[in-house]
Amino acid sequence: MLQLKRDYLDQKVLERLSTLQLHARLPMIGSVSGKHRSPIRGSSLEFAEYRKYVPGDDPRRLDWRAYARNDRYYIKEFEADTNLRMCLVVDTSGSMDFAYNGMSKLDYARRIAGTLAYIAAQQGDAVGLYCAGTGFHKEISPKRSATHLSAVLDELGAMEASGETGLAGVLHETAERVPQRALIIIISDLFIEPEVVRNCLEHLRFRKHDVAVFHLLEQSELELEFDRPMRFVDMEGGEPVLADPTIIGPQYQRALEMYLDSMNAVIHDTEVDYHRVRINESYDDVLARFLLGRTPKRHK
Amino acid sequence: MSFLQPLALIGLPLIALPILIHLINQHRHRTIPWAAMMFLMHAKRLSKGMARLRHFLILLMRVLAVAALIFVISRPLSGGWLGSIGMGKPDATLILLDRSPSMGVQDLQTGQSKRSAALQKLSQLLEQGDYGTHLVLIDSASGQLQEVDSPKALLDLPGTGSSATSADIPDMLESALAYLRANESGRADVWICSDLNENDWDVESGRWHAIREAFVELEGVHHFLIADAGLPSNNLSVRVENVQRWERGNDAELVLDIVIRTEGDGDVAAQVPIEFEVNNVRSVVELELDRQGASLQGYRIPIDSKFKAGWGSVGLPGDANPLDNRFFFVFSEPPIRRAVVVSDDLKSGETFQQALTVPTDVRHQHRVDVIPMDRVAEIDWEKTSLLIWQAALPSGLVASQIEQFVEAGRVVMFFSPRQSTDETLYGSRWMDWQTSGSQQVSNISWWRGDTDLLAHVESGDALPLNELRIYRYRSFESHGTPLARFADDAPLLTRVPTDRGAVYFCSTLPTAEFSSLEREGVVFYVMLQRALEQGSRALAVASQRDAGPNVLAGRNQWELVASIDDSQLLSQRGLHAGVYRDGAYWAAVNRSQIEDRATVVPVATVDALFDGVSYRRIDVNVGDTSALASELWRVFLIAMVVALLAEAVLSLPSRRVKSTSLIDLTVASGSERR
Repeated sequence: MLQLKRDYLDQKVLERLSTLQLHARLPMIGSVSGKHRSPIRGSSLEFAEYRKYVPGDDPRRLDWRAYARNDRYYIKEFEADTNLRMCLVVDTSGSMDFAYNGMSKLDYARRIAGTLAYIAAQQGDAVGLYCAGTGFHKEISPKRSATHLSAVLDELGAMEASGETGLAGVLHETAERVPQRALIIIISDLFIEPEVVRNCLEHLRFRKHDVAVFHLLEQSELELEFDRPMRFVDMEGGEPVLADPTIIGPQYQRALEMYLDSMNAVIHDTEVDYHRVRINESYDDVLARFLLGRTPKRHK
Repeated sequence: MSFLQPLALIGLPLIALPILIHLINQHRHRTIPWAAMMFLMHAKRLSKGMARLRHFLILLMRVLAVAALIFVISRPLSGGWLGSIGMGKPDATLILLDRSPSMGVQDLQTGQSKRSAALQKLSQLLEQGDYGTHLVLIDSASGQLQEVDSPKALLDLPGTGSSATSADIPDMLESALAYLRANESGRADVWICSDLNENDWDVESGRWHAIREAFVELEGVHHFLIADAGLPSNNLSVRVENVQRWERGNDAELVLDIVIRTEGDGDVAAQVPIEFEVNNVRSVVELELDRQGASLQGYRIPIDSKFKAGWGSVGLPGDANPLDNRFFFVFSEPPIRRAVVVSDDLKSGETFQQALTVPTDVRHQHRVDVIPMDRVAEIDWEKTSLLIWQAALPSGLVASQIEQFVEAGRVVMFFSPRQSTDETLYGSRWMDWQTSGSQQVSNISWWRGDTDLLAHVESGDALPLNELRIYRYRSFESHGTPLARFADDAPLLTRVPTDRGAVYFCSTLPTAEFSSLEREGVVFYVMLQRALEQGSRALAVASQRDAGPNVLAGRNQWELVASIDDSQLLSQRGLHAGVYRDGAYWAAVNRSQIEDRATVVPVATVDALFDGVSYRRIDVNVGDTSALASELWRVFLIAMVVALLAEAVLSLPSRRVKSTSLIDLTVASGSERR
């Protein structure tokens, strides 16, 4: 058991989630044996398919029972299990520092990313971290050593939210720079245009990455429940706006709805694993739902 | 609009308070770091127009509410014309009240006259406002100035009641002017209550210019005219034009000439009952009426012959103006009509004597004396009715005797003297003789046929002045009113204005050398007989008089015998219609004849009289019971409440869009690809 000293990681949550495994939804190409499917046939106990024998195949892999039934030579192939590369892309723009009642979105993202990193490391997967913010930009390539996990967790603990978001750039960069299939987990409030998000996700999908998105939202952002005019200061450095929520409330709601509808369309089209999260929810419930949702269903 | 508490209007800048608070709040908004700026910006863009409008309306409502509150405190009064109270506190308020009979026109439903309605409204108005330290009444009847304790007291003063006197508005304004000058009043309000009767206003008078100039010099004097120029829809007035007492054997009778005039455009009753009262005996006669009214000439009322003198009245049923429904008359035995002809020209003197000796009615006794200039001292002034002066204009003692003679109500006729003279009397002076050529004569081109000596005869026919031939006449200077003119505008007969009696100047002589007056006869005879009759009236013990403050002057023992208003005070005697007696003398006091010919001056003409001075006209109607000004604070209070309610509604938070789609945030991920 790794000795944890990061206060954003909760021992009880880790213990509770230790019974669940992180599965990739797509076959992964790993460097070592692991718990994830691989596009390459291997020697695991998981039957994959029958294939006609061709000269050159190892005769020891002939299925004699099939030959007895069909009078033809078949090679019995098994799935290859491998490890995966999990790239955590955390948005560290200024807006992620928003907290109205309770923890900030960045703290929430820190907990999700840290817990997932721990779970992945525990099952032998490589973990990498990409911080996407103009004010705080870090990049740790996925590796599977315990030391590496410690570095990732340290970096998660140290990351700060500031400046404008650099998520789109980081995602495009990640899509290009991660050489093989990987699980890309994006944790962000996604306060960028849905079409920009679409481009990023399509790029990642094009590179055969398994993409999961944690879209973090704060309750007050959704309802704008203020009963008096306020001066709203842009956390990403823009001009402050003086507005009366009692007057612009309906327009705000309409704008939010339009944005979420557009985002739904993007998610539907890009087929990514999308989780819209209110940060007043318990993050272990969110992670449990995420992990359970990725557990492969057995065919009857 | 005006205000009872105008000082409260100082707080009017407070209406900027909501705007100020709004601006301060702009800088006192709670600041909050915000992440979802993209939605906020979008919402701001979407709601820009509506939000601004809403903000503007909210601010407007708040401003209106504050303004309404200030107006409530300042106690506004209705009536945009009313500026007196808003002009500051006057030192003095002068009320010029027209008490003429025409102001007695009543609203038939309320029974309130024009005079009392105007007075009541003014009293209410002054009671609400500030009328200064002096409240002064100038009434048209007495012309006196009277300090009044309070506006309410105006309603009970005898000096504000009805009267039979005519009003003289310019004279009242001159009195007001004199008061303001004497008291050196600073700010003053002059309120005039009148029905714009042409006779009362005398708009053609030259006095107006001087009055206007004088008021312009007085700074801080504001004029307000409460004008009720409406004519009654249906009003009848009665007047006894002439009354004679005749004896026939042992019997006696009164002969009355009565005129009934209609006023207004309403339906006139076909018949009207006229009630006669003589020596407490009453009788009623039905009289046919037409649009102009009716005339009853020579109506005889038999009386006991032992009544050598007495009084009576003629009455009409009640109508819009009760003040012209009863006319008093007095009668007595006709006096001897005595005329004196002063002439150095024997022939002319005889001509005058012949024309004056023959009475128009055999029941009258005429006596004519022709005397030369040097016997003027023999004239018995007390018993003479008419003086014919055909000599140089007198001066000195004789001139003053003639003036006293005229002031006693007698008549003097000056005819052209043969000799030239430079004397001046009554502002008139004889000039040179004008002679027409042998073939040419001067004709009368115009004469006044409606009244005075040359009036049409009873049948309505004009006197044949156009047939007269004038061969020689004297031109003369006079400020009198011509009664007949030649074609070259030179006057033939001129009347000089006097307070009582009459003074005439005739520019030619009756003899054939000068004119055809004697030869034609009719004009000359009628003219002299009328002058004699006119002068004789003053000799009678019974006299008809027009109401006025000095109408009973000369005798001190007048007792009221009968009156329209039995409760009249001693100070009001002579101002009301009634009958007075002082021993053997009788006097019937009535409204003047001109009061029966009510003509309203156009308001534009009246307004023009006040050009250059601070003046406002307030038109009222006798039937209108509303106050001149009423407090409007309730309206503003309601306006304030409405503004506050509107502000509250506008300030209500907009209905929130139910974010059902946002509550379920765990959106299913894209379809799995295995």
